[in-house]
Amino acid sequence: MESSTNAPMKRVFECKLCRLTAPYSYYGQKPPNTHSIVLLEDCYIMKDPFTPTKDKFLILGSQCSLCKTLVCIDPECSLFYSKRFCLPCVNENIKEFPWEIRQDLDKRKAQAKSQHHKGTESKT
Amino acid sequence: MSSAKRTLGNRWDWSCPETRKQLEDVFFRDQDYIRSGSEESRDFWNFFERFQRFQSNQRTERREEGKERKAGKGAHPGLADLPKDYDPRYRINVSVLSKDMEMRILGQGQKKAERQKRSHQGSGSERIPGEKVAEFRMAMLHFLDFTQKQGFAKLAKLQRERAGLPIAQYRDKIVQMVRKHRVVVVAGDTGCGKSTQVPQYLLAAGFNCIACTQPRRIACISLAKRVGFESLNQYGSQVGYQIRFESTRSPATKIVFLTEGLLLRQIQQEPELPQYQVLIVDEVHERHLHSDFLLGVLRQLLSLRRDLKVILMSATINIKLFSEYFDRAPVVQVPGRLFPIQVIFQPIPQEEMNLKSEKLDIRPYLRVMQAIDHRYPPEERGDLLIFLSGVAEITAVLEAAQAYATHIKRWIALPLHSTLSVAEQDKIFDMAPPGVRKCIVSTNIAETSVTIDGVRFVLDSGKVKEMSFDPKAKMQRLQEFWISRASAEQRKGRAGRTGPGVCYRLYAESDYDAFAPYPVPEIQRVALDALVLQMKSMNLGDPRTFPFIESPPTSSLETAILYLRDQGALDSAEHITPIGSLLAKLPVDVVIGKMLILGSLFSVVEPILTIAAGLSVQSPFLRRAQNNPDCSTARKPLESEHGDPFTLLNVFNEWVQIKSSRRANSRKWSRRRGLEEQRLYEMANLRRQFKELLKDHGLLEDSVAGPSDSYSRLQARRERRQLYHLKRQHEETKGRKRKVLKLKDEDTVGSSSDEGGTAEASSVGEVNSVDIQDIKFKLRHNVEELQASSGESWDPSGQHITLLKLIVCRGLYPQLALPDEFNSCRKDSDQIFHTKNKAGVVLHPTSVFCSNPELLQVEGIQDDRNRAVKDSRKNVSSHHQLLAFVSLLETNKPYLVNCVRIPALQALLMLSRSLDTNADCSRMVVDGWLEVRIVESETALRLLSTAVQLRAEWEETLSLQLSNKSNVDKEKGRERKKISALAWSLLDYIKCKADYSIHRLAGVEMEKLYIGPQTVPDNSCLPGVFPSTMMMKPDHIKGGYAVTSFLTYNCLTSDMDFYSECLRTFWTCPHCGLYMPFTPIERMSHEASCKPEEAVVDQGTMVPAEQVARSASTLSLQRPYHCDTCEKDFMFTSTEILKHRRQHQGNL
Ligand SMILES: [Zn+2]
Ligand SMILES: [Zn+2]
Repeated sequence: MESSTNAPMKRVFECKLCRLTAPYSYYGQKPPNTHSIVLLEDCYIMKDPFTPTKDKFLILGSQCSLCKTLVCIDPECSLFYSKRFCLPCVNENIKEFPWEIRQDLDKRKAQAKSQHHKGTESKT
Repeated sequence: MSSAKRTLGNRWDWSCPETRKQLEDVFFRDQDYIRSGSEESRDFWNFFERFQRFQSNQRTERREEGKERKAGKGAHPGLADLPKDYDPRYRINVSVLSKDMEMRILGQGQKKAERQKRSHQGSGSERIPGEKVAEFRMAMLHFLDFTQKQGFAKLAKLQRERAGLPIAQYRDKIVQMVRKHRVVVVAGDTGCGKSTQVPQYLLAAGFNCIACTQPRRIACISLAKRVGFESLNQYGSQVGYQIRFESTRSPATKIVFLTEGLLLRQIQQEPELPQYQVLIVDEVHERHLHSDFLLGVLRQLLSLRRDLKVILMSATINIKLFSEYFDRAPVVQVPGRLFPIQVIFQPIPQEEMNLKSEKLDIRPYLRVMQAIDHRYPPEERGDLLIFLSGVAEITAVLEAAQAYATHIKRWIALPLHSTLSVAEQDKIFDMAPPGVRKCIVSTNIAETSVTIDGVRFVLDSGKVKEMSFDPKAKMQRLQEFWISRASAEQRKGRAGRTGPGVCYRLYAESDYDAFAPYPVPEIQRVALDALVLQMKSMNLGDPRTFPFIESPPTSSLETAILYLRDQGALDSAEHITPIGSLLAKLPVDVVIGKMLILGSLFSVVEPILTIAAGLSVQSPFLRRAQNNPDCSTARKPLESEHGDPFTLLNVFNEWVQIKSSRRANSRKWSRRRGLEEQRLYEMANLRRQFKELLKDHGLLEDSVAGPSDSYSRLQARRERRQLYHLKRQHEETKGRKRKVLKLKDEDTVGSSSDEGGTAEASSVGEVNSVDIQDIKFKLRHNVEELQASSGESWDPSGQHITLLKLIVCRGLYPQLALPDEFNSCRKDSDQIFHTKNKAGVVLHPTSVFCSNPELLQVEGIQDDRNRAVKDSRKNVSSHHQLLAFVSLLETNKPYLVNCVRIPALQALLMLSRSLDTNADCSRMVVDGWLEVRIVESETALRLLSTAVQLRAEWEETLSLQLSNKSNVDKEKGRERKKISALAWSLLDYIKCKADYSIHRLAGVEMEKLYIGPQTVPDNSCLPGVFPSTMMMKPDHIKGGYAVTSFLTYNCLTSDMDFYSECLRTFWTCPHCGLYMPFTPIERMSHEASCKPEEAVVDQGTMVPAEQVARSASTLSLQRPYHCDTCEKDFMFTSTEILKHRRQHQGNL
């Protein structure tokens, strides 16, 4: 165990809406070690902590294309529809979004609790 | 697969393996994000099928929905370019660059089609239509998006859970406290999250090098796993664990979980423990021996290390005790988070209790399982955790539960105790399929150290089995007790961690009220030998005054000190001896440590290493296989007639042979013989550790190992690379997902590797059949070297085994048992033995002597011709044997565990701590409990005299070896010669013949055993009679003369009134040919001085002592003698000295 105190400062991503924090290792559209994958927005990315394989990444979040707020990709915080939108911005401009998205949001609101519960159950 | 099948009457068939293969070859290449053949590609195809179904549903549903969208007037310009028509693909922020690949697949398809045309064959692949490739590509994007969201949801859930833990609210407070104070107590009940969170909080706050101790190994592993996972460093190396033989620690490790014992060893090596900044001692309330001791050590360490932070973590039990011990350290108390738990007292009905049987009654346990089945619908998840006292009870309940489970198909029963392998223990974390509950049958290990999620029901037997130590009988006792109220609450709490729960207690509320408040600290109830030795080696001063948090009983400390002095680990001033400090470094019992040292003296170290390792791990013999006739037959050839440690040796050696042969499968081999292979791996590890320790201490020379020529070196390196590769592969695939347990019939219901005879692979749901243990073993050990040392270095039929037995017995001494003299009339299973402190003990059923009692029968030579004493028992033979045993364990009966047989008289004369004789040495009392009557006093004298010499030589060689003085090769050579000569003499000695009887002294006989001091004629000193090493002093307690540290001559009372003069008989010295009357003592001393010792040494290597040329008369009988009375120097023989002295006495 090294007692080096000058460990590299960890870059930490924090969602301004839900306050989720996680260290990220890359910001941009081309995650390292992936040949054929390109992201359609600049993302905060960490090495996927849940797999041992080195080149798997996990997208944490990005900037809302309208208000520039840093948001995570949790459906409670943001959505992607050709660009990233934080949910407050979506709600504010809800009419600009296609029917499918509106319906999705309504559904989500309605079932927020039960769905959330189910979701976590099945994912462990 | 023909094209006909693929298109299935105009319908495209995605499930065609060839289509899939073709697509995988192109899209899932090695450098791609998803790799062909990986688990992820399997996941993809599963996803793909669901996705296809979903899409076809969507298409029909959505067809006619109106989706008009009007652009709002004040819309943000950023919204202007949103796609007009909705398509789910716009919701995906990932893209795959695949033009090149698509070109390839199209091209490839064309080529193939052409080839087919040419060869006129119907089979073979066909080109994939462009729209299908696009469909596949779209599915891939959706899959990537799905996995990203899934991964993120997992992360978010993890963070939410961490933030939701009760301790999370105390995060800042804890960090602040640790910054401000040197010692902090964090007290929190089960479920508050202290064990997983505190190390992470401190790390995040900038502390580094954090060690967190745990009482149990399994907790180290599971905590390291959990904390690694939580800190998103699951596959990094920031979080690691370190237990005996296993470490995941690297230079990058910042948090390490380790056992208390291991931390103590690290302190032993580096008293200031510079490698750590923060020490967290977890579960201090459990009051384990090591943890109590560690607290004492840390208290002292704090004065040396001003910068060290110590955090004690405890349940909310007795917190004041810990805080005050550390100078009123501040306490952060965290409330636990428990859901309400319904307590149901269900005492076992009186009428069932009356059925007094040794076996556990399983009915109350089944009743609870049935009650759960009746009361709770299977959709309501929630597992059952049963607390039992021990492994036997677990086995009984497990069998019943499994039978019930097979019948009702709603349960999967799994055992949990510390003797299971890690892999087996891991199984309890797997999930049961829907509608099925896990029934985990556990010892108190699940009380605090192992946390299993999803437990809703707890069934508490209220019992615990604890090892207690009886210092009087030097016996370990595994006894069942009622638990304490604190334990009962802990057990109950396990039901309420994830939701409201139910706790069934198989005792009455009044029983509960009568329980002790806390468990008895371990230090109060176990043998303290190892602790005292460790304290001595750490220079902690007098253990009697060490400031323990709560002092152990004085009697335990005294017993331990006495024992260590007895074993030569401490000297008479209670300072640690060279042997002692060596023993302290060996992580084993003192007796086993002694074997190692003795083994290294003679060149039989390889088998001794194996035996010592075998005796230090749990028995590899599975109890369940005992009744399996196939196993017993397969085991038979491995059994050693010499005793259980030698059976272990055979097993290990054979296993190593299997390991080193390429074709054989050691896992199968072990299973067929009912062996737990894990224990053999542990033996290999321990053996290696022993070897390294012996080398470190110069007791073993480095062997020049490794293949000699460059080709085999290359080969070896290649093999290692391959093994590393396999290991990595295994690590990458394992643990990715929690497995779902299978509900099949008998063999999987809680299957473990304990299956005895079944040849089925034991691991449920394990995909790859890589034997990771085998790989680790081959990486860790030089198999060739092991094979060599297990194969040739000793021959079981020859002399070696006798020497090995003598070494093993010297290590085990005084743990000896005498067969009862009427054993020959008893049934095989009723053989009785007696130890010094305990009469009527029996053999453990696993012992070789239990199945082959004839090995211990005395071929009685019922000889009547010389019956000088009025002993009525005709018990004379030259074949009496004793059993040396490793431990005495009392469960329902007192059992001798791990026995070796050895010729009785020779062993006693060579090893005993105290030998008391009568005047002609025909009667001896050994260690105050065994009486030996030798038929011919002539023989007795000869044996005794040789024993005295050999023992002196042995001691001398041993201390020479330990002091490690000789560095010169020439001297070493001479030493080696001397040692080998000694070995031969010892072997000859063991073979000596003598007719004798042996019996255990009864209480009455012991009372008038010794003459006592007053009746001894005042020949207080007889200088010169004995060689200078022998100090002849009158013994003030027993009477007679103390000849050596162990031999007291002529102190036994006797019917005949012997005077030393009368005992003179004519005797011819075989060395110098002198013929004259000698008393026994004179004769012994003559022999000691006359023995042509140098000749033996010079004869050197491998010549039995008998063949040594006898150089008569080279040594004079006369020795220089200085008389204090007349103050003159003489050259006297021993007899002359006696005469001279008598002159003076007459004058007085
Ligand atoms: Zn968020
Ligand atoms: Zn926004």
